[in-house]
Amino acid sequence: MSSDERVVGDVVIEARDVKKTYDTGTVQVHALRGVSLEVRKGEMVAIMGPSGCGKTTLLNSLSGLDDFDSGLVLINGEDISRMPDDKKTEFRARDMGFVFQTYNLLPVLTAAENVELPLIVSGTRPKEAREKALSSLDRVQLRGWANQRPSQLSGGQRQRVTIARALVNRPAIVWADEPTGALDSTTATEIMDLIVELNSTDHQTCVIVTHDPKVAARCNRTIHMADGLIVREDSQAQMAAVAAGH
Amino acid sequence: MTVIAAVCVIVTALIFLGVAYIAWRNPVMFKMGLRNIPRRKAQTALIIIGLMLSTLIMSAAFGTGDTLTTSVTSEVYAILGEADEWVSWDSEKVPAPEDEQVIPLEEVEEWQAMFADDPDIEAIVPFQRETLPVQNLRTRLNDPSARIVAFREQDAAALGGLTDTDGNPVDLDGNDIAINEDLAEEIDAQVGDSVILLYQGEPVPFTVTALVPTGVLSGAVDPNASNGGAVDFEALSALTGRGNNADAVFISNTGGVKDGLDRSDAVMAKFEPLLEDTPYQVVALKKDLVEFAELIGAGFTTIFVVFGLFSIAAGVLLIFLIFVMLAAERKPEMGMARAVGAKRRQLVESFLAEGMGYDLGSAAVGLVAGMGVTLAMVSIIKAFAGDNLGLELSVTFTARSLIVAFCLGVIATFLVIFIASWRASRLNITAAIRDLPETRPIDPEASTWKGYMRGAINGIAALALVIGASFMLMGPIGSALGVPLIVVGLISPFFYILRGTDFAAPRHLRHGERLPRWPLIFGILLPVVGWVLYGIAILAVRFTRDRKPTTLPRWMAIAAFVVWPFALIVALLQTWKARIAWSAGISTAFGLAGIAMTVGGLDLNSAFLALLGLSLIGLWIAITLRYFGIAERVAFTTVSAAILVLWYLPSSVTEPVLGELNGDIEMFFLSGLVMVTCGVFIVVYNADILLPAIARLGSRFGRIVPAIKTGVAYPLTSRFRTGMTMLMIGLIMFSLVMMSTINSNFSKLFLNDDSKGGFDAMLLVNPNNPVDDLPAELEEAGVDTSPITGIGELRIAYASETEIENRDGFEDEDGIVQPFSRAKIAGADEGFLRNSELVLKARAEGYATDREVWDALLANPTYAVVPAVITAEPDPFGPPGGDLIRLEPFGEVFEPFTLELRDPATGTTTTLTVIGQLKEAADTFLGLGTPDFQAAIITSEQVVAETLPGSRGQFFYLDLAEGTDSEEYAKALESGLIAASAESLQGLLDEQLSLQTGFLLVFQGFMGLGLIVGIAALAVIASRAVVERRQQIGMLRAIGYQRSMVALSFLFESGFIAVSGILLGLGLGLSLSWVLFTSGEFGEDVSDISFTVPWLQLTIICGIAFVASMVMTFLPARAASKVPVAEALRYE
Repeated sequence: MSSDERVVGDVVIEARDVKKTYDTGTVQVHALRGVSLEVRKGEMVAIMGPSGCGKTTLLNSLSGLDDFDSGLVLINGEDISRMPDDKKTEFRARDMGFVFQTYNLLPVLTAAENVELPLIVSGTRPKEAREKALSSLDRVQLRGWANQRPSQLSGGQRQRVTIARALVNRPAIVWADEPTGALDSTTATEIMDLIVELNSTDHQTCVIVTHDPKVAARCNRTIHMADGLIVREDSQAQMAAVAAGH
Repeated sequence: MTVIAAVCVIVTALIFLGVAYIAWRNPVMFKMGLRNIPRRKAQTALIIIGLMLSTLIMSAAFGTGDTLTTSVTSEVYAILGEADEWVSWDSEKVPAPEDEQVIPLEEVEEWQAMFADDPDIEAIVPFQRETLPVQNLRTRLNDPSARIVAFREQDAAALGGLTDTDGNPVDLDGNDIAINEDLAEEIDAQVGDSVILLYQGEPVPFTVTALVPTGVLSGAVDPNASNGGAVDFEALSALTGRGNNADAVFISNTGGVKDGLDRSDAVMAKFEPLLEDTPYQVVALKKDLVEFAELIGAGFTTIFVVFGLFSIAAGVLLIFLIFVMLAAERKPEMGMARAVGAKRRQLVESFLAEGMGYDLGSAAVGLVAGMGVTLAMVSIIKAFAGDNLGLELSVTFTARSLIVAFCLGVIATFLVIFIASWRASRLNITAAIRDLPETRPIDPEASTWKGYMRGAINGIAALALVIGASFMLMGPIGSALGVPLIVVGLISPFFYILRGTDFAAPRHLRHGERLPRWPLIFGILLPVVGWVLYGIAILAVRFTRDRKPTTLPRWMAIAAFVVWPFALIVALLQTWKARIAWSAGISTAFGLAGIAMTVGGLDLNSAFLALLGLSLIGLWIAITLRYFGIAERVAFTTVSAAILVLWYLPSSVTEPVLGELNGDIEMFFLSGLVMVTCGVFIVVYNADILLPAIARLGSRFGRIVPAIKTGVAYPLTSRFRTGMTMLMIGLIMFSLVMMSTINSNFSKLFLNDDSKGGFDAMLLVNPNNPVDDLPAELEEAGVDTSPITGIGELRIAYASETEIENRDGFEDEDGIVQPFSRAKIAGADEGFLRNSELVLKARAEGYATDREVWDALLANPTYAVVPAVITAEPDPFGPPGGDLIRLEPFGEVFEPFTLELRDPATGTTTTLTVIGQLKEAADTFLGLGTPDFQAAIITSEQVVAETLPGSRGQFFYLDLAEGTDSEEYAKALESGLIAASAESLQGLLDEQLSLQTGFLLVFQGFMGLGLIVGIAALAVIASRAVVERRQQIGMLRAIGYQRSMVALSFLFESGFIAVSGILLGLGLGLSLSWVLFTSGEFGEDVSDISFTVPWLQLTIICGIAFVASMVMTFLPARAASKVPVAEALRYE
């Protein structure tokens, strides 16, 4: 299935005039100066921009990992800025999955244990959690590596485990911060193939922060940021052209 | 001690000089190290607390020893004053009835004339002395055993004369009495009071004319029996009928109270030949007592140091752990420093600079804290012991002790820091910069015999000193191997330096380095080094073989010169940069040392060496198995379990194989260290088997499952950290559990209701005023006798007054088998034998019950029952047994045997037939409330009266009607009978228990200090984990971990380590105590008691350890839970 065939539905993420300033004591850094955006169900959106433009801050603010100073973020219509920490955490455990550049797997747990962790956190019974974790690893073609620890896996394999972990509880939204940043281009392509394929089959909404136009080209649209503001949006076709130019 | 102090100071000075040299030569790296100290203040504080422990324990142990030494010697100086030596009748040399054991004054006057101008002797002072009951007629208070002395005025003047408490001279005439402060307090006496002295039942009136300081001139010689007074010589002489004779003579040396001691040997040398052909003997009283005081102090220091070894070991582990963690934290910095050109040596120097900063700070803090701990311990002893200690404890620290404690703390910490720094400096630069796990280059020789042998040869060379010293234990063959090994050990450092130089590389890989100059310089110094080695070898023989050779075989000296060039050749033959399997090598070295120790230990009958050796061999096997590819879990679990079994085996099982092995207090430490280490290996390699079970258990509690999962997974992955911390906690818990359990079982054994023997109160009668008919005298004194339901009497002959056949031929302290030993003999009257409920542990054939034995004694006056202690091994902690009788242990049912009893004074003998042996609790009964605290052989009163007519000890034991308050009744008895002191047996038992509890508390508190180490380690690990895992914490929070779950995960992690350590210590301590008690390791007699576990005490100890661990981890856990998610995810 091509990316064009992916199903795009109602708005699931809505941000209105989100602002965030980091105060270092001596300097104030305006990371977000009033960002507004909408992301629809099943959509894959890339956020691009130069270093320090506020991409990761936006992702953290939208996903509830970080607080923001003003504005409104609605996820499935729920205002996450008003949620207490516990509820926000539960919300994340139930409805969100995360993929990070540095994998962030627990080195002391096996691949299967890492993948089943979000399920156990959500209260799933251990046996059921293990079955789902193995099935999720199966989807990323790592079933045979279930009992290996992260240190025994390659970079690409680790990122697959991270993806399996992000998808294991079938979240509505997957947030990915530079998911291919630490990988070589072949592995990066494989990982993006996997994300796109999973997005197509599971219809999850994906928000991906990236520097790589090739990654952005695999998304429905790309939001460009600079100095804490959204400066432009490109369609998939436009980004494909840019990537081809690269 | 002075030598130790000097060595400590020199070594410490060398360390300081070395560090100063580093600072001068490499100020940048030095500053870099120092600047790390204030970086994390909380962590620095934790490190200093952890590091100070060894200094604290040393200074507390030395302080306690100093306090006891000084307190006892002060008491000796205060009491003996100017009196230095003591001349008295030697009843062993010339036996005679007690009233004939006197020294005529004319003879003393001859000595006075002879030594009038002697430069060493200031005065020779004869005196009379008698123990008499005294009653103050005003207050009606009495003392049944006051020491009354009498000096002639002209003689006493030489000792400074008798003065009152204000320093005014006191003249005694007629019936004047000067009472010392201790007696005055006892009977509440004032100047002008009328008192009576009771002699042979007759009251003699005296008037108190002065209160004088307690000392020899006022009756006190023994610190435990200092109540006394002085009367006119003529008056006492008339009272006792002793005429112009003295009971004993004091000699005062020239010089003051303390200086006079220096002349003691000279005075003894003059008097000993003089008294050789007389019935008298001279004793260096003050010198002996001062030496005894020093012995007590040194003994306490040793006990505290040994018990503190657990904490010191835990402290050393903590220091190592802290520095390993610091190194891990700084890995990227160190990698970067190496990348820009810093050498390994410079990294070590930087770490040393930082370490010395902590070291100095912690040694100073530890010293002060140790002084505080001493103060606390002395206060606790005082509070629990009360008057039972018979000593005024005043806390003292000698400068020497403080210096040694400080230096030992600095040295121990420095050594550990040095090893840890060296370990930290060996890093892979790339891996360090990227903070990746260390990778090992592929070793073609891995798991091959070639690689193993290379490792072994290098390991042996590196540890040749240790192995060589161990081989010296093995007799002549061992020494032949040991000396060259020691020599190799001394030169092997050069060998490694050489190996690392380019010079040793193949020609095509060299970069133009030439042969280093140092081997040439060393070659010139070789003869000097050779002689040093020669000296070391002699010392080694002296220490290890307990012999004093003045010379060694020539070949040994030659070896010292010859072996060094061989090492050079070995270095050249080494494959350049080939990897060395150090773990295999070091373990081989220790394994060889272990073989030597085992053989040497079996040869010397040393349990310490034999078992340590076998354990080291076990470690060697485990590491070898791992080297050749056997799974770590299998290798370490199997070997650890085997070593544990070995340590559990009672000597009854090991003796047929290993022979008799003797161990002392050091075995306590070694058993703890080895067993807990094995336990830790088993836990850290196998705890993951429990994980599914834990997870299933946790699933019942819903959302804590993930916290448990990560909480257990982390410690099991960092086996080194976890094992070290578990070991620290386990070691301390083991020692506390063992001490509690053994103490509680021994208390049960010695101090129980059987220790009252069926009686409630006892009366100790003044020997000069024997009581013939107790009920009549009590009634005459107006004491209500209706509560008394039974009376028993023991007539006592103390050990110094008797001789008993040395039946089993035990050697005395000088190694001579004497035909006779000594024993305290108790002659029981009919009342005692009828009422006795003393329990027996062994009976002669034909006696079915204890009662039958006591009835047999009633019917046959020459029958006897021996105490339990007679067949016991001498107590290693107790005073030397001297020439007291010992017998080989016999069974619970035995053939009656005989012992010949003899009066040394008259030579009269009686043959006793032994038909029973008392239980330990009955021994306690015979020692309770008596002046010598000794158990006795019980026979009939008739035998004692006839065979030992000079014996004058008389005790009554009363059985009181139910409901009678024995304490109150004892008071009533004492106020009625001037010539006797009365005690409640329950009261005496309670005092003993209180004393024991006090000492136990002090020991437990002291050892519990080590727990601080374990808990500090947990806190350090947890704090470090928060920093290390910041990003992972962020991820956990991102995927749905609540704050509380993150905190719980950290608490579970510490809890898992703490609980494992606690359970290990508890399990091993309890099981080993049980094995020791039930297998007869503490004596066959002990094995038949029902083993009890002091659950309450153990629960409190474990509870404190656990709660303290959790409290210390709470702060880091809370910090982890508050980590901001987005920030943590970005953290690198």
